[in-house]
Amino acid sequence: MMQAQTVLQPSEAEALRSKVKAKAKSTTTISSKFTQYKHLDFLSNDIITKGHLTFKSPNKIKWEYVDPFKYVAIFNDQTLHINDNGNKSDVNIGSSKLFKQLNELIIKSVKGDMFDEDAFDISYFKHDDVIKVHFDIKDKKYWDYLKTFQLTFNAEGDVEEVKMIEPSNDFTRIVFEDRVLNKPVSDAFFSH
Amino acid sequence: MRFFLISLVFCLMLSCGSYPKKQHLIPTYTLENSIVNPYFSDISKDYVYKARIEVYDNDFGGLLIIKKLAQNHHRIAFTTEMGNKLFDFSLMDNEFKVNYCVSELNRKLLIKVLRQDFTTLTTENLSVKHQFKNQIGLVFETELYGKPHFYYSSDNLNKIVTAKHGKEKVNFTFSNIKDNVANEIDITHSNIKLKINLKTIY
Repeated sequence: MMQAQTVLQPSEAEALRSKVKAKAKSTTTISSKFTQYKHLDFLSNDIITKGHLTFKSPNKIKWEYVDPFKYVAIFNDQTLHINDNGNKSDVNIGSSKLFKQLNELIIKSVKGDMFDEDAFDISYFKHDDVIKVHFDIKDKKYWDYLKTFQLTFNAEGDVEEVKMIEPSNDFTRIVFEDRVLNKPVSDAFFSH
Repeated sequence: MRFFLISLVFCLMLSCGSYPKKQHLIPTYTLENSIVNPYFSDISKDYVYKARIEVYDNDFGGLLIIKKLAQNHHRIAFTTEMGNKLFDFSLMDNEFKVNYCVSELNRKLLIKVLRQDFTTLTTENLSVKHQFKNQIGLVFETELYGKPHFYYSSDNLNKIVTAKHGKEKVNFTFSNIKDNVANEIDITHSNIKLKINLKTIY
């Protein structure tokens, strides 16, 4: 059965924006389990990977994949540290402006705070008890990689799901659960 | 002078010797007309491998995804662990299509090498030109994209070698084989610094 989806009233959209922005402002850390679904249209099933995400304001983020393989990616300011099942490497992302900007977008999407009308065409939908917001990227330079972010917010204004859609319509969907906010996390946690 | 010429001819003969001779493969009467590479032949399966690629001094990883869509038709994609697509190719009969490739990898030579490697990996049915044996099992000489390929088989297909001027050019080793799935594949190029290790993730 199709679930009902309605367009949000401007006042409801404004209420969501205020709630999410206030929450993002007061959030110093996020710790959450995640399940990632990589959808490629030609596959029979999505590729499912699971792990744990830790974010520390303003720009440190650690993705720890544990199942079905071990892989850690840490974005710490200008550097991407990778630990691929014991093989460690560092990538300077400061040298790639586009990569850095893409990463900043992903960090913003995890917090939900990406209501930037200059950067996106934004549309709001209500879907049962959640709100879905579509952020269509305006800047063509990203279109080689991504065209849309779709964020799902719960009633508290937390991001439950991030869906990043490629120009081909293949997508990566990340579903968060057991989210804990503002738990102290040391800077050392973001090195390897 | 005569000795020099004989030595030179002998050296040339040695260096230009065929791959089977160099590998001490013993010709046998051809028993099989064709052989099968079963590793990407199941249309109902999504083949997903964790990949490690060493190219020159760069070392990077990702997921290599291979899907058979129809007879002689495969789709091959490579993504980062975090889901970013790096390339997406279609191989259909002898046609090759780049559906997507990030600009950093979109190099003519690299794409040619990958096209040939994926053709070797996914071609299922091959006509046997010559058959040999070694201590372990049988070796079948076939041809793909105009180049000789040697298929080493004992209980399973465990190695494919492509050869040029009698020398090994690319070596595909299949291990940890179960139910027609090679759970580990190593692809090693001899003429360029390129090594690919693949392990199934499930």
